[in-house]
Formats: sequence, structure tokens, C-alpha cells
Amino acid sequence: MVDLALCLFVTALLVLSLKRPFLAVLAYLYVDIVAPQKISWHLLASIPISLITFLAAFGLWAVADDKADSRFTWRQGLLLMLLVYCGATTLGADFPEEAADKWAWVWKALLFAIFLPLTLRTRLRIEATALFMVLSAGSIAITGGIKTALTGGGYNALYFFVQDNSGLYEGSIISCVAIAIIPLILWLARHGTIYPRGPLVRLFAAALIFACLLIPVGTQARTGLLCIGLLGVLMLRTVKHRFLYLGGAAALALVAVPFLPASFTARMTTIENHQADQSASTRIAVWKWTLGYVKDHPFGGGFDAYRSNRLVIETRQVEGSGNQTDIETKTVTDQARAYHSSYFEMLGEQGWPGLALWLWLQLSGLWQMELLRRRWRKRGLAEGAGPELQWQAPLANALQQAQLVYLLGAAFVGIAFQPFILMLIGLQCGLWSYLKRLDQPAREAARRPGLDPGPVPVAKL
Amino acid sequence: MVDLFALTLSHALLALAAWRLVLRADLDRDPPRG
Repeated sequence: MVDLALCLFVTALLVLSLKRPFLAVLAYLYVDIVAPQKISWHLLASIPISLITFLAAFGLWAVADDKADSRFTWRQGLLLMLLVYCGATTLGADFPEEAADKWAWVWKALLFAIFLPLTLRTRLRIEATALFMVLSAGSIAITGGIKTALTGGGYNALYFFVQDNSGLYEGSIISCVAIAIIPLILWLARHGTIYPRGPLVRLFAAALIFACLLIPVGTQARTGLLCIGLLGVLMLRTVKHRFLYLGGAAALALVAVPFLPASFTARMTTIENHQADQSASTRIAVWKWTLGYVKDHPFGGGFDAYRSNRLVIETRQVEGSGNQTDIETKTVTDQARAYHSSYFEMLGEQGWPGLALWLWLQLSGLWQMELLRRRWRKRGLAEGAGPELQWQAPLANALQQAQLVYLLGAAFVGIAFQPFILMLIGLQCGLWSYLKRLDQPAREAARRPGLDPGPVPVAKL
Repeated sequence: MVDLFALTLSHALLALAAWRLVLRADLDRDPPRG
């Protein structure tokens, strides 16, 4: 039954895309995030649905969509450089077979992130992309949130639709992404036009945010807790009543703590004591190994280069205090340990040039969103400014916050090429390009005073 | 049961959103100011 429903849903999206080609782009976003072929056992699992929607999105855009307003931004150029560079390191990878496996999905995610901004020509397309990303990731957050509320979850024990540990179905990754989408949920609830602002939308948004906040509790991913903390601080920048917000957040935390599962509280306390925690000690050992590795391999070892590591880790457990202190030291050996950090993932696999490109891509996104936020905030606050001038700055702010949350989570999880985040970067490029295009007539008029700027799209009014 | 609820709710909202998008002229072009 679920099989058939999912198959019908994807088919309906593809059929509708014959009338509106952009829906094929949304269909690909959905398939790449939810991966319905993993949930399905028969119909969708037996056909290459990801490839079909990928080809449909590209093909229909090439054949049937208007490309007059499409612009190639320099950040798309950075993505293209990263794509070419990763292709080159894959050719000379330490582990050619494993590298080829990762390359098989990375190139597609990068190519789609380059392509997505070309299709984001209208305000509604930008909103629709954000909505599909949020609802698709939200479907995983809803099931995880409810299960956490009912059972408390557990480390490596919370299942979302399928027993799978890849993509957004991995605990630490969904914890980071679930918190990263909260600013987008808020933006959609306030400025959305597909589901316009209203009591039902507010209720759903509040419930979805609550579900997202429960994901780090259910998965017991320490990264998620750090992400919640960062988002809480970032929100201070935009909330209207800061003291009320701080008081509310503190009260909520106090009320929530007694309801948290004991296993969650125990795991979170290991954040402070990394020496006693093998998982944290191993990470630090891998990071040290990576720094040593790039001294000999400055251009990286290609995807999955971590497989050559062999680590000897010492953990120290301190019990008691004063004269009664017992220190238990254990030596553990480990090998082929993954990076558990996107920064070290980039460094080990793509070397210094790859890390530099990736950081440039990320930091330029933060900077561009900051510029947009400042520029459009002034316009939105100007006298007589209507809602048509008030959605841009909050969206830039939401995309910046989402990226900052990701960049913190990425410090502890190897998600440098996570397709969802690359889509987020594509959305940033699309917003930047779109708003720049809207400003074009005014800039031309300013340069040539006699020139009439002509009709302006209503989205700018 | 929980999975079914989450799938139904999210997919119903996605489907309704897709249908609303098909009916919106401004999906492909921002309306010009009169």
C-alpha cells in the first residue's frame, strides 16, 4: 500500500512537470532527500527513480523552460571547480574502488547544486524549493519526533521509516539538518504564499519545530545539542523581545530537563569529558592522523582515504575526588576510522586545495547572505514598504543561520558533500542571483540617469 | 503506525503544494508592475 502510494506520488509529480517543468526539479529534491526507493520494497525500489527525476529535471529545463533570466554565479563556478578537483583526486585515489563509490553520488549532488540556481528565476520558485526541502526533511523529523516523544529513542536505536544508516537517515546527520531547517520553517510560516500565514500554518510549524528539536534527544547525537545551542544564540539577533526570549528559553530548558531520558543526559555529559569517551578520543586521534597524512599528501588521498589509518587511543576515566581519586587508563586500537568531521574529511580526501575551495564556498555563502540581509532589511523597514519588500532579508537570514548550524555540526560529522546542504547552497546562489537581477534596472538607471528602469517585477515592490 | 502518519501528513502537504504551484502563473514569471 505504502509502495503504491509513494509510486503514485512520484509519478504524479513527474506528470505535473510536463505542464510545469520546474516541478521535476522539486521531484528530484524530494527523491534525493526522502529516498522513497529505500522505503519502498517493490515498485520504486526496482526502478532508478533518482536517475529518472535527475534526467527529467535537466531535460525539461533544457527543452521547455525559459532560460532568459538564468544566471551563472561565481559560487556556482566554485562548485564546478570543486567537482572537477574531486574528479581528479578520484582518479588518483588511495582506494580506487571505495573512492569511485563515493564519487558516484558526490558528482550528482554537486552538479545538481550547480544546476538548481539556474532554475530559480522567480520568488515563488525560491519559496517552493525551500518548502519542498523542509517538508521532505520534515517527514523524517515528524516520525523521529513522535517516536522520541513516545519511547525516548536511544543511541543508534531510533529508526526513521527504514533501518538505514546513510544520508539523512543517519542519527547525527538528521540531528544537524533538523536543527538547520528550523529557521527555514519559521520563514515559511511567516512569509510563505503557497501555504499563507494563518493559524493552521502556525500550528504545523510549531509542531514541526518541536519534532526537529526532539531529534537530537531521540538520536542522542551530541552534535545536535550543540546545534540547538548555537541556533538559540543566533536567534537572539533577530527576535523582537530579547529578554522575553531568553527567559522563555531558560524556562523551557528547566521544564524539559526532567522529561529527558536518563540515557540522553548521561551521553550529553560526555561532551565535557572527551578523554573518558572512546568515540570522542578516537575522533581526536583521527584528526591528528589526518594532519600528519596531508604533510605527505598535500593534495589529499581521494575519497575514503581514511581507510589507511591505524590508531592507538588511550582513554582516561577519573572516578572519585581528592585522595580517593581512581584513574583508569585503557588502550584501544582502531583502524580505518572515518573522519567524523567535514573539515578533516575535506583535508584528508581533497588536501589543502580542496579544503580551501570548500571553505571559500561556505564562507562566501555566509557573506553573501549577510549582504542581502543588510541591504533588504533597510528596504523592508522603509516607510510604506509592503510584504513584497519584507521577505528577502528574513530568507537571507534563515539561510545564513541554517548554514552556520551546519558548519558547527560539520565539525563533528563527515557531511562535507551532504546533498541537502549542497541544495541549501544552491538555494543561496539562486536567491543571490534573483535579487541581483531585480536590482539590475535600478543600477542601470543610477549609472545612466536618463534611462527609464521600465516595469519592475511585482516581487520587488 | 507512526511512520504511516508521518508519511501521509508530509506527502499530503507536498502533493497539495505541488497542485497549488501548478495553478500559480507566477511560478514561471514574476508578474510585472502595471
